[in-house]
Amino acid sequence: MNTAQFLTIFISAVFLYNVILSRFLGLCSFVAISRETKPAMAMSLAVMFVTIMSSIITWFIYRFLLIPFELTYLRTISFILVIATFVQFVEMVIRKISPPLYRFFGIYLPLITVNCAVLGVAVLNIDMFFTNSKAIPGSFYYSVFQGICVGLGYALAMLLMSGIRERLDLCDVPKAVKDFPLAFIIASVMSLSFLGFNGFRF
Amino acid sequence: MKNRLIVSVSPHLHKDESISKIMWMVVISLIPAGVAGVFIFGQGALWVILLGIVSALITEWIIQLFTKRRVSILDGSAFLTGLLLAYNLPPKVPFWLPILGSVFAIAIGKQVFGGLGQNIFNPALVGRVFLMASWPKYMTTFTKPLNYDAITSATPLAALKEGKVLEHISHWNLFWGIRGGCIGEVCIFALLLGALFLFIRGYISWHIPITYIFVVGLFTYIFGSKSVFTPLEMSTAQSGIARFLTGFSGDWLFHILSGGLILGAFFMATDYVTTPLTRKGQIIFGMGCGLITAIIRLWGGYPEGVSYAILMMNAATPIIDRYTKNRIYGTK
Amino acid sequence: MKKFLNEFLKGIIKENPTFVLVLGLCPTLAVSVSVINGIGMGIAATFVLLGSNIIISLMRNIIPARIRIPCFIVVIATFVTITELVMKAYSPALNRALGIYVPLIVVNCIVLGRAEAYAQKARVINSLFDGLGMGVGFTLALILISGIREFLGAGKILGYTLFKGFEPAFVLGMPSGALLVIGLLLGFFNILKNRRT
Repeated sequence: MNTAQFLTIFISAVFLYNVILSRFLGLCSFVAISRETKPAMAMSLAVMFVTIMSSIITWFIYRFLLIPFELTYLRTISFILVIATFVQFVEMVIRKISPPLYRFFGIYLPLITVNCAVLGVAVLNIDMFFTNSKAIPGSFYYSVFQGICVGLGYALAMLLMSGIRERLDLCDVPKAVKDFPLAFIIASVMSLSFLGFNGFRF
Repeated sequence: MKNRLIVSVSPHLHKDESISKIMWMVVISLIPAGVAGVFIFGQGALWVILLGIVSALITEWIIQLFTKRRVSILDGSAFLTGLLLAYNLPPKVPFWLPILGSVFAIAIGKQVFGGLGQNIFNPALVGRVFLMASWPKYMTTFTKPLNYDAITSATPLAALKEGKVLEHISHWNLFWGIRGGCIGEVCIFALLLGALFLFIRGYISWHIPITYIFVVGLFTYIFGSKSVFTPLEMSTAQSGIARFLTGFSGDWLFHILSGGLILGAFFMATDYVTTPLTRKGQIIFGMGCGLITAIIRLWGGYPEGVSYAILMMNAATPIIDRYTKNRIYGTK
Repeated sequence: MKKFLNEFLKGIIKENPTFVLVLGLCPTLAVSVSVINGIGMGIAATFVLLGSNIIISLMRNIIPARIRIPCFIVVIATFVTITELVMKAYSPALNRALGIYVPLIVVNCIVLGRAEAYAQKARVINSLFDGLGMGVGFTLALILISGIREFLGAGKILGYTLFKGFEPAFVLGMPSGALLVIGLLLGFFNILKNRRT
């Protein structure tokens, strides 16, 4: 376990290969919920919680269930079931804590289940921290940390996008592109600018 | 007929300036760099500049007609966008490249947000990264300086990235522009003349450009390689953080003088619309640009990172503005 | 009968999953690089949508609300597996082209989205038409987007190069380009919509 690896994970997950702006995962909620900062941050928190917990649980499942019983081909479906269960749990909690927030999220809360970012980071952990069906040293800690960082990267993209959209709400944009079309175009330019991080080599 | 009556809250400040005047002043300050570019790279460069400007003007005119907004192509901002885009292009590009770049810059970089003052990103840079992503071959083919036969050559930063060595490039060459590169970025002397003009007239403040350049210099000094003559060596023998501590010997002057840093720091990172309002915000902006530029230059896949850095910080500007708001008079 | 037709048509225009509901973006961005891939993915997703909508609607009174999401996933995953196997058997080239995005139909927001928003509350026959309409709408959206991206981004249509000297804009082959195309198409549709009212 060395610090450079943690630093690399942090910088990669949050900036270089940002889950939304470079890997293009989790876009549905990104375009739909990023209109105002408060709900955007709430969604980011929910997503981060799910990514962290699913990173932990999927790691255990892979390490102690799928590998020993040679069921690694069941990876996708078992991971998705884990994530689905967790999102159901988060949904129950939010419904209890803050019904207005629950109603605001609407369909996008259960859709965290199919948020490509969440499944994506679980699969990424396996690809990066297991070789030949064996866990590399420190694999668990790297996986959890990557879960945290992917959540942070998601939050960063949401923060930037919601700041931009809130500002544009005060402007006189052409009627045809108000809201969604402009959001897509902004996302397009943001991801164009993140191309600058391609080909990184530490 | 839309924006006739503008009602805003007092206090109102009256100055001798208008947006138009500022834009045209910036255009004037960029003329020396253009003249130098044409002198160094030949007549082709002049065509690129003209095509860029004319396409920008026509695009803005058409879009404003189509969306029934006031046609404002004489306010100098479209002219400036076209000019800056052309300055960011290699001298020997197909004629349609600056045209498409300008169209994209004005349409997507500016008008789709509702026109001047509402765009989030620097339009010229939006055009540039669009061209870079679409036709990388043309955007990375540069010609030898002072060689009107347009023989291709690499830029100093590109050579550095590939680990090659350029013997005949000295800091002096970089300063005067005797090197491969984009039309308006090579002649540092001409650019500094223009920047000085803008400083004296008070059109730009030092916060962003000086911070930006300083951070790039500092970072490349700490983490960069000795000079352009010894390419960056990543010591694979040492692990972890130790790898980064073999620095404090980078050729910071080389980094400051090469690529599009001077052009970007003084003329694009100072754009009022797309950068923070407060001084504290501007310093943060400059630092962010500097950090990202240096990181991309040293470890990224591309040799130059100025356009990407500025665009990324443009995206962060609304958030920076929100968290560096000045205290409203009378409140805590 | 007219009600069912409306149910079907709503998925194509008024509630088009890609352009109106803004669902299923990840596969759209990735798959819409060429028209063939778009069509293939559209058909596969339609089949899954149809199957899952029907089954979930049939079981809507049996599935407990508190654990409905994992249950939906199981149903959807079953149909995705069927689709994947059929594709592997009868169209291996397409399967290879779509790659990881076939199993990822499981996480296609459209499928779970329709199950959650519609199928669990509606009758079977309505859900059937809803699923069909959404699937067709998704497919049409994919064809439109990939047509633009393939032509302008790679200079081809259905794999055939059209004009010789045409220099395609590579950015359209990237997800940034896809986002741009979707945004501009949305704006265009809005202009048409505003013009009509």
